Amino acid sequence: MPKVQFIDPKDVRKAGEVTFNPIPVNQYNKSIEEEKANFSKEDFLRIYHDMAVIREFETMLNEIKIKSEYNGVAYNHPGPAHLSIGQEAAAVGMAYTLGVEDFIFGSHRSHGEILAKGLSAIHKLSDEQLTEVMENHFDGKTFAPVKANFKGTTKELAIRFLIYGTLAEIFARETGFNRGLGGSMHAFFTPFGVYPNNAIVGGSGDIAVGAALFKKVNRKDGIVVANIGDASMACGPVWEGLAFASMDQYTQLWEGDMKGGLPLIINIMNNQYGMGGQTCGETMGYDIAARIGAGVNRDQMHAERVDGYNPLAVIDAYKRKREILKEKRGPVLLDILTYRFSGHSPSDASSYRSKEEIEAWQAVDSIIWFGKELVDAGIATQDELSSINSGNTDLITWGLKLAIDDKVSPLMDMEKNPELIGEMMFSDSPVDSMEAGREAEVNHPLEENPRVKQLKNKERFAFDKDGKPFSKIKQYGLRDGLFEAIADRFYKDPTLIAYGEENRDWGGAFAVYRGLTEALPYHRLFNSPISEASIVGTAIGYAMCGGRVIPEIMYCDFLGRAGDEVFNQLPKWQAMSGNVIKMPVVIRVSVGSKYGAQHSQDWTALPAHIPGLKVVFPATPYDAKGLMNSALQGTDPVIFFESQRIYDIGEQFHEGGVPEGYYEIPFGEPDVKREGKDVTILSIGATLYRVLEAADQLQEKYGMSAEVIDARSLVPFNYEPVIESLKKTGRIVITGDATARGSFMKEMASTITELAFDELDAPPVVVGSRNWITPAYELEDAFFPQAEWIIDAIHEKIVPLKGHVVKSNFTEPEQIRRNKLGI
Amino acid sequence: MAIPVIMPRQGQSVETCIIGEWYKQVGDQVKTGDILFSYETDKASFEEEAKEDGELLAVFYEEGDEVPVLINVAVLGKSGESVEEFRPDGDSTEGSSVEQEEAPAASDATPAKEEKAVVLDEKPEGKIRISPRAKVMAEKMGVPYEKVKGSGPHGRIIAQDVEAASESIPKLTPLAKEKAQAESLEPAKETTGLGGRASASDLISYNPVYGDDFEVKKLTNIRKLIAKSMHQSLQNSAQLTHHMSADARQIMALRKSFKKKLEVGEVSQNITINDLVCLAVIRALKKYPQANTHFIGDSMRWFKKVHLGLAVDTERGLMVPAVKNADDLSIEGLSSQLSTVAGNCRKGSIDPELLKPEAASFTVSNLGNYGVEMFTPVINLPQTAILGVCTIVPRPKDLGDGVYGFVPMMGLSLTYDHQALDGGEATLFLREIKTQIENLSI
Ligand SMILES: Cc1ncc(C[n+]2csc(CCOP(=O)(O)OP(=O)(O)O)c2C)c(N)n1
Ligand SMILES: [Mg+2]
Repeated sequence: MPKVQFIDPKDVRKAGEVTFNPIPVNQYNKSIEEEKANFSKEDFLRIYHDMAVIREFETMLNEIKIKSEYNGVAYNHPGPAHLSIGQEAAAVGMAYTLGVEDFIFGSHRSHGEILAKGLSAIHKLSDEQLTEVMENHFDGKTFAPVKANFKGTTKELAIRFLIYGTLAEIFARETGFNRGLGGSMHAFFTPFGVYPNNAIVGGSGDIAVGAALFKKVNRKDGIVVANIGDASMACGPVWEGLAFASMDQYTQLWEGDMKGGLPLIINIMNNQYGMGGQTCGETMGYDIAARIGAGVNRDQMHAERVDGYNPLAVIDAYKRKREILKEKRGPVLLDILTYRFSGHSPSDASSYRSKEEIEAWQAVDSIIWFGKELVDAGIATQDELSSINSGNTDLITWGLKLAIDDKVSPLMDMEKNPELIGEMMFSDSPVDSMEAGREAEVNHPLEENPRVKQLKNKERFAFDKDGKPFSKIKQYGLRDGLFEAIADRFYKDPTLIAYGEENRDWGGAFAVYRGLTEALPYHRLFNSPISEASIVGTAIGYAMCGGRVIPEIMYCDFLGRAGDEVFNQLPKWQAMSGNVIKMPVVIRVSVGSKYGAQHSQDWTALPAHIPGLKVVFPATPYDAKGLMNSALQGTDPVIFFESQRIYDIGEQFHEGGVPEGYYEIPFGEPDVKREGKDVTILSIGATLYRVLEAADQLQEKYGMSAEVIDARSLVPFNYEPVIESLKKTGRIVITGDATARGSFMKEMASTITELAFDELDAPPVVVGSRNWITPAYELEDAFFPQAEWIIDAIHEKIVPLKGHVVKSNFTEPEQIRRNKLGI
Repeated sequence: MAIPVIMPRQGQSVETCIIGEWYKQVGDQVKTGDILFSYETDKASFEEEAKEDGELLAVFYEEGDEVPVLINVAVLGKSGESVEEFRPDGDSTEGSSVEQEEAPAASDATPAKEEKAVVLDEKPEGKIRISPRAKVMAEKMGVPYEKVKGSGPHGRIIAQDVEAASESIPKLTPLAKEKAQAESLEPAKETTGLGGRASASDLISYNPVYGDDFEVKKLTNIRKLIAKSMHQSLQNSAQLTHHMSADARQIMALRKSFKKKLEVGEVSQNITINDLVCLAVIRALKKYPQANTHFIGDSMRWFKKVHLGLAVDTERGLMVPAVKNADDLSIEGLSSQLSTVAGNCRKGSIDPELLKPEAASFTVSNLGNYGVEMFTPVINLPQTAILGVCTIVPRPKDLGDGVYGFVPMMGLSLTYDHQALDGGEATLFLREIKTQIENLSI
């Protein structure tokens, strides 16, 4: 809602119509003779060679899967192999013109794309560069078995390296491109511009957009290609990716050289099937997938269908589309028509298509056809092609033998190093700036910022010297703590960007970013579409390429919209890459209240359940600033929960108030907010303030002194301070605003019982929200934990309190009843 | 008719706003839509427009004032109209909804007094419920919990019950408690301790065979620490010891000459045999850095400098202080540092950082003064080795040409962690120490 754009009712209410331009379908019609002007003999043969290598590689995998043998070499591969036999021309055509700095992303069916892009990169890199890449990857671990006893050229060596690294990865060998932790569906190799492939259909549809955003925002060379299937065009995240990629603001609001579209090609590898569902005619309605472009933006995404059975047609399309991207008129949508002869996977009985259909496509097999064209046009002899083919068989046989040799290509030794995978879940490395040395683009020095000036007049501690609280508006609040940490990082790290819904002019729905709009150019802080999947998905792609980013989810309840991104993508890539990739993404998630069932949920347990995410939930300005500083200093994905109940809460605990300078609070350390000796109350998030009320009442009415601990972090979490407290008190209540069943409070209760059984004078008691919908604000007291509930729970489950009259029901029969009913 | 201008409420949670700027002054004529003033909430800035035409008759708040929402901030109307009825009560901040911290109401419910738990004569009916904490506590305090009435939920015996019970039954003296715990004893009904407390001798033993033939003495803290680290050392490493002896003539000669120098005042430090041995060890470590290490499971710390630990016997027990960067020191410096840290240990003024096993990279333990001829020192983990220095004894030696004489030989016992070093390496290192001692020059 920028003010500079005036929406004039006179204009927008005018009658008119939307018109479309024709979308080209298979328009390429050059003959090989004509193409001789564009390709040398060597080029033609290389195209043939690359297609044939891919065919042989996948033929080998197919035989290993169905016969457990290839060319006399026996092996059993229990893992997946989604083959693309028949689609080679599409892969090679796509990769042929791409430079090393161009990135591709892919799907579960991307062996062909990996090899095609790898071969294309090898062709373009010098011998010295290739040697450096190979020597440096995992300190030469992948290279060592390849180079042993090899006498050929560096390029030949690099091709072997590519075949071996990919295959060893597919077979889960420690020498694979990703230490065997990615596998067939996730293999990649960034030095050749091959970025993660994705076993979640459409997974690359928004991640790749973030990679293109990275290139644009950080002025990096190259374009990004998202290879996704025709069936993935039904996936929400793909559409969200399209929405994010085609926002008007790139051309209408971004300033200076930032003006213009993303350097992105959405490349539909249209093999006309999902697994068994036929897209055109059955499961989709687009008829021709390129049609989708027409609905996305004014440029119709420059969409086009290209005959992917002719590599030259694909190359031609890429040459033309690159020009469009150079003029900053992206994104582009390509619908590359192709067909797989192989099943979805080797176990596929192809019950969903006829033999005639497969045979008809085999009759136009692009490799055979292209070879014949070359011979007919006098470019190559049949002998030359045969020698390429036999060379490929030798190469693949060599690669197979080496990759299955347990001595040179061992699996990870989980017996000797049982924690190897554990050590890869997080990078745990502090990094000031993701691109040291480059200056951050800002509009003015931070001291001149209006918000910064305003904060000078705020009280950084909630109470005056007599212990009286300052008025709410005078107090430096939790949102101010977040602002200071984020603003500081924006000035330190030029790659840092932040976006989400209503982030710019509005300053974020809860005003955390107020003031940043003035400080930052558009491309560092902007409004995203209402598109949570792409808000998180693009952040993942942005981080993979080396940037730091803060995506915002306006309400925790909307996290479900980004489920795949938060649960399947963000937490996985550091470990699945064998720790090559870093993931400095801090997702700010705001937990609501007052707005009912779909705006008031605390879902901390969900990300905490997923390995690979760090999860924090500060409840004071001091903690918020310190934890945000730590989050932004790290390179691990963080789900940073904030509570809308307390954005304006002042600092009541940290003596001297919130420091003006930079400081970090380490993740995982709970904090004793008030000392006591009779009972420990451990709180997650905003319940802290209700706990303090309960503690006051316990003291006044029952002479019981409560020790109040604020968890602050959920993952990681150090239980030692809690156990220390239990040694004193022997009793513990765990509380938070999440619905109790399956919550992180329950996780804590169970862990505490295991760790401190002998210290316990009663079972750890969880006081969470009821297992209901969140009702209206007026009824919230019956739903969220209240101070009285905590006292009731102590009375009922820990130690009867003299004269206490309970209001809520914490008895065991009631607990059983509720569980029986599932409420 | 005059109308008030109120401070709008911008959002449910907003209680007060701060006035930014007045664009109109009292007496100005304003038109509907004119901006009267700007104001801020915590989240954003806003501007308030006039809702009617008229003269600005009064302004109740100044720029920078914090104003509760929905309160009148100004009055618009016709010139001369009264504004009094619109004036907010009292002065500008009173009557605001700003939270006033009320003094906590003195609660009339005096904290309920806990009823003292009763120790029953009989075991209560049914299964005994007791919290883990109470159980551990009862065992420690020697309280027979089977007979305690529980005050927790479902009559569960909880910690407070055990505490109360321990006051109403014969109490144990601390020593008796230790003993009761160690030997599963129960206090007798009749007691002999002070104030009716059960002393150790009152405890009834379930095992009369071993009666009272010993006395239980509590470990001092340092003893506990030593016990723990010694036990851990042997549990967590693969230790073995090699013995060798070195011709001590050269080192004794050096000692003699230093003693002379001290007497005539050429040196200020009393250089001992141990100092000289330490010097030899440091030199040997420089040649065998693999012994100047910590073994930490999947990796080793290779130290660039030698941080020499010295086992010191004190009244409170064994201490091993470190001399940092010992390889930078001259013999006088080394001697002075060794005697300082040893002295500080005995006085109890040693820097605790220097006592950590991580502080030293290698340790020397000298029992020569006590006449020990051979021993197997225990490694100070995570260090990989320790040298035991033994007493000097005369041993026959071939002096050349078939002539045998008695030569003073010093025993050396090297214990090393076989996880970190192999036998060959350790032997070569020990031999290097021997060579250094035999050929020591300053
Ligand atoms: C989110 C998700 N749903 C379902 C699957 C199972 N699945 C794997 S591949 C596939 C078909 C994908 O078709 P398409 O996108 O056209 O790619 P293709 O396999 O044809 O290359 C399906 C349904 C999955 N991996 N991820
Ligand atoms: Mg498909």
